[in-house]
Amino acid sequence: MQMRLEHADLTENEKLEAFLARIDRGEKIEADDWMPDDYRNQLIKLISMHGISEIMGALPEKEWVPKAPTLRRKLAIMAKVQDEMGHGQLLLRVAEDLLEPLGKTREDIMNDLFAKRLKFHNVFHMEAPTWADAGVIGWLVDGAAIITQSMSLDTSYAPYARALHRICAEEKFHAQHGESIVLELAEGTDEQRQMLQDAIHRWWPALLMFFGPPENGNITSNQEANMRYKIRTQTNEELRQVFLKKYLPRIFHLGFTVPDDTIYFDEAEDKWVYQQPDWEEFKQIVKGNGPRSAHRLNLRVMSYEETKWVRDAIMSYGRQVG
Amino acid sequence: MWMSSENFFIYEVFSQKSVNAPFVQQFSLLAPNKEVALSMARENFLRREPCFNLWVVKRDDIFGLPPEERPFLERLDNKSYRETKGYGDLQSRWRHHREQFEEKQKHAGNGS
Repeated sequence: MQMRLEHADLTENEKLEAFLARIDRGEKIEADDWMPDDYRNQLIKLISMHGISEIMGALPEKEWVPKAPTLRRKLAIMAKVQDEMGHGQLLLRVAEDLLEPLGKTREDIMNDLFAKRLKFHNVFHMEAPTWADAGVIGWLVDGAAIITQSMSLDTSYAPYARALHRICAEEKFHAQHGESIVLELAEGTDEQRQMLQDAIHRWWPALLMFFGPPENGNITSNQEANMRYKIRTQTNEELRQVFLKKYLPRIFHLGFTVPDDTIYFDEAEDKWVYQQPDWEEFKQIVKGNGPRSAHRLNLRVMSYEETKWVRDAIMSYGRQVG
Repeated sequence: MWMSSENFFIYEVFSQKSVNAPFVQQFSLLAPNKEVALSMARENFLRREPCFNLWVVKRDDIFGLPPEERPFLERLDNKSYRETKGYGDLQSRWRHHREQFEEKQKHAGNGS
């Protein structure tokens, strides 16, 4: 306690040591606590990318709202799109509080997105041409997201943990919504089954890429820093293996295949051995050069421009009432 | 071209699940005024949860403790006199008196 009282008198190095000791004790960090710049920057990068991905993730699904096959499906996918935007709002608030001491705001996050400085998840650069894609996104993309986000529930940054608790509860609904669409198609006609099989093949490389490149024994300095700060606790490959163990059997139970002839489960190593996706392609996709990157970014820009009159109206009302 | 953030304020959202429940802080949001904040609060945080009442409060109007003062909130360990668990001996003492009484009654009965 004595030490904390005199925090302002400590040298930068002593502050860092005290901070790391807090992390080691399993304490949680709040937005107004002292934190090293490196910790702040790692969080800003991670959380703004997560927040923007939620918003960009709503776009491929939004395309399916007018085309959903029944009223119930339409209501459900609308609810999901609304949830994703809500998650974006939560996460952007967490990022904004971290950006505040740097004099930056939500505007900067948006401008970084439009200038392609801020990346969003590879899966949201892809096409969703059929209703089965909407199902696979809910089942497998949200399934993958739940795995990464559940790992982060125990993150050392308290505001992120609180946001994730809300988000994970809703993601479980999303995954079940996707499973429901997928099972309907899997139990349907040959044509429906073929549509689903095609969607699984189309999404397979993107799903493998979702967790990021494998470490192959070389954990990147970014990952290492995140693990030292207890922002995350598992590596890309560990998370991917959790995903494969959970979902590959289910794909096979439905009688479907993945586009990988040599994939097998290594009992001794307790892991799936799979063909690597093209990691060069992954880099290009997240840089904003994926099949639908430009289109989705344009949608985002368009949505801002088309709703400008709403913001103007709100702002003029806001000024009137103070 | 984009909204100007300087015209937006941070609002903290509090909601109450039922008439007997306390108000609980949900999260924060960014809004140009309190009316918009209130409607966004419903959209952002209450899409499923039951809700009985809702508040939004401008974050600037909340006064709290700085990080270095929070450790003083930790309760000292010697306040059992304020809690029911500090009076755990009561039941056995009541039992003792009841038993004493019953014993006396029994003897009195035998004597008559």
